[in-house]
Amino acid sequence: MIRLQRVTKRFDGGSEALSNVSLRVDDGALAFLTGPSGAGKSTLLRLIARLERPTRGRIMVNGKDLETLPRSEVPRFRRSIGLVFQDHRLLFDRPVHANVALPLEILGYRRAEARKRVRAALDKVGLLQKENAPPQTLSAGEQQRVGIARAIVHRPALLLADEPTGNLDPTLSREIMQLFLDFNRVGVTALIASHNLELISGLGMPILHLENGNLEARHVTQARSAG
Amino acid sequence: MKDGGERAGSLESWLYNHADAARRSFRRRMDAPGQTLIMIAVLGFILALPAYLWLLLDNARALSAGIDHEPRIALYLDDTDTDALAGAAARIAALPGVAQVTPIGADEALDEYRASLPDPALLDWLEANPLPAIIEVVPAERTPEAVEALESRLAILLPEATSISDHEWVRQLQALHAAGLRILLIVAGLLALGVTLILSVAAASELRERREEIAISRISGATDRFLRRPSLYGGLLLGLGGGVFSLILLGAGVILTRTPVEAAASAFGLPLVFAAPEARVGLILLGTGLVLGWIGARLGSGAALRE
Repeated sequence: MIRLQRVTKRFDGGSEALSNVSLRVDDGALAFLTGPSGAGKSTLLRLIARLERPTRGRIMVNGKDLETLPRSEVPRFRRSIGLVFQDHRLLFDRPVHANVALPLEILGYRRAEARKRVRAALDKVGLLQKENAPPQTLSAGEQQRVGIARAIVHRPALLLADEPTGNLDPTLSREIMQLFLDFNRVGVTALIASHNLELISGLGMPILHLENGNLEARHVTQARSAG
Repeated sequence: MKDGGERAGSLESWLYNHADAARRSFRRRMDAPGQTLIMIAVLGFILALPAYLWLLLDNARALSAGIDHEPRIALYLDDTDTDALAGAAARIAALPGVAQVTPIGADEALDEYRASLPDPALLDWLEANPLPAIIEVVPAERTPEAVEALESRLAILLPEATSISDHEWVRQLQALHAAGLRILLIVAGLLALGVTLILSVAAASELRERREEIAISRISGATDRFLRRPSLYGGLLLGLGGGVFSLILLGAGVILTRTPVEAAASAFGLPLVFAAPEARVGLILLGTGLVLGWIGARLGSGAALRE
């Protein structure tokens, strides 16, 4: 699903966010990406979603070489990915269900069908009863779960999450991580960046350590004992 | 992950996307009725003004074409000999495009002039007849081109004669009309440019208000075309509204102008029925509104999305 070959990302200021990183994540696998802040976790995720382009190296995602992917194909490529942000980036001018429906609108789903899927996604994150609430009335944990519902509503093959529990207390954090494990169990490939080593080390999933832009080359396969 | 529901076919979803964008942009207009009405009013005024001026020009042209006037060419001859006059008249009558030839000798002209004076004795102190002999020619066709062609044939036939056509003023009117039309086109073009810029600024600022939504949508795989679509429909809606409003303004203009203009024309003895605009004019106004609305929205949204 994800394949990085000696990927380097250097920003305009000259700082190197990633140095020669190689990584392979198979279809249906789940891996955590950890390391201190500034280690390059976000950069790595942004490269995989093609929100950034590498300075050097090759990235293959879902069978597509991002280097040769034409600009016009980028939107279609992004539709196969679900992205969760630490600050969840909800739109406060519309209710929860409209936030979650955004990827479906882009895909051209009919309103009735979209509504059904939005309710299914909200049900999965346990917020079905809040579908008509304005996002600003929700707690931080609920807002993050709305962000997750938005990331999975169009059933992407790949889920990328950048510090999804960054602002949450331990109990809520565990609940959120459990959601990712649940999605992975039904076949979604996931790469989750988190600096909370204590939390993720108890989940029995592969952990990739990123330090100063360096990553020990790894091949993450699908966990056999999932479930 | 197993797909539970059926996604609409791609053409169907594309159509649905369009319908959805149209519905959204309509709702957005309705959410800000004041701003929408101002934009429609500006567009309406700007479309109606040149249309109204064009209507006036068109009626003025119809007026000049509608007057039942028989053009005449008068040839003034220095040679007042009666035989020479008759010979010249016969040669003119043989020319193509001549309907009627009337030779008027110098003496005959003086007699006519004398008869028109209150005191004919006034002319008695003249030693000689100062009037030239005249040949009056009526062209077979009334168009300025035909009259002009005949004049040049007469100039070749009688190079020494001075020719004066009383059809001159029709040509002058036509030249004025052409100049007016040109000025009108330039003014209309400038107004269209201005309104397009206004619409484009409005579309751009609307997209800037949606900045966060656009960022999230792009991450979720929205194309620029998708993001721009509601603005384009918004532009079309404003354009349509402006076109309809301009028609209302034009109709009001015609109703308010008709009576005084017809009265003025009849005071000059001119038969004028002030014509209302044809359906074609309405279609042009609506079409122009739609096109300007679309172009403005396209320019503005393009600029905002590139930022």
